[in-house]
Amino acid sequence: MAYSEKVIDHYENPRNVGKMDAEDPDVGTGMVGAPACGDVMRLQIKVNDQGVIEDAKFKTYGCGSAIASSSLATEWMKGKTLDEAETIKNTQLAEELALPPVKIHCSVLAEDAIKAAVRDYKQKKGLL
Amino acid sequence: MGTPCHFALFELQPSFRLDLDQLAARYRELARSVHPDRFADATEREQRLALEHSASLNEAYQTLKSAPKRARYLLALRGHELPLEVTVQDPEFLMQQMQWREELEELQDSVDLAGVATFKRRLKVAQEELNDSFAACWDVTARHEEAERLVRRMQFLDKLSYEVRQLEERLDD
Repeated sequence: MAYSEKVIDHYENPRNVGKMDAEDPDVGTGMVGAPACGDVMRLQIKVNDQGVIEDAKFKTYGCGSAIASSSLATEWMKGKTLDEAETIKNTQLAEELALPPVKIHCSVLAEDAIKAAVRDYKQKKGLL
Repeated sequence: MGTPCHFALFELQPSFRLDLDQLAARYRELARSVHPDRFADATEREQRLALEHSASLNEAYQTLKSAPKRARYLLALRGHELPLEVTVQDPEFLMQQMQWREELEELQDSVDLAGVATFKRRLKVAQEELNDSFAACWDVTARHEEAERLVRRMQFLDKLSYEVRQLEERLDD
């Protein structure tokens, strides 16, 4: 299967790969997995006092589409408020990366990782 | 189910615990009996039936010999198709998976063959633990959710052991 140029770009030069201290009260961590392909994705956000995502990091073990989806997700989240970040949809990620139908679930995984990270942060801050 | 169940093809009762060597031997035996060569002089209908039988036999064998596939099949027999296209949120388990994959990456970077062997043994132990847990609960209705969680976990370990095999091949070159 041919990957789109954007997927290859994110796969070869993934943005924001890394790890934050999950114990940091300003950091939200989302851990999700896809049982069908065994992919594992960690997405983390660092949020400032204004509720704006200052930084985002990810680490994904999975196929090129999963890596590209999470890489793009971190790019889009930076500078957004939590509420704005939560509106990022898998369909937007899939469209931007031109994912073929069989790879749509990789973008779903990224969307779920965003939601999990935001939820983790809100839970820490007692916002839920 | 219109076709006989995978276990019935091998004259087995549905069970998670299987003797895989015995299964393989039985498969070879059965596969021989429906091999196209034996039907060279048979009627067209008999040939077609033999071919169909051979295909279902193969499918049954591929399903039964793999622990996660066998586990999913057993749940399906009990009327619970387990969707795999759903996101798993099992933080503790996923955290450990992440760690293991990081370890494997380091073993690859350091070309540590002994380390890979140790890793493989640890993975095997974890897989056997999952298998034991599943064997104890898959047919207990009240523990259905636990059984499903175990199958999802099996999927991740199965993928990981595939990655280990691939790494071994790369390091062997």
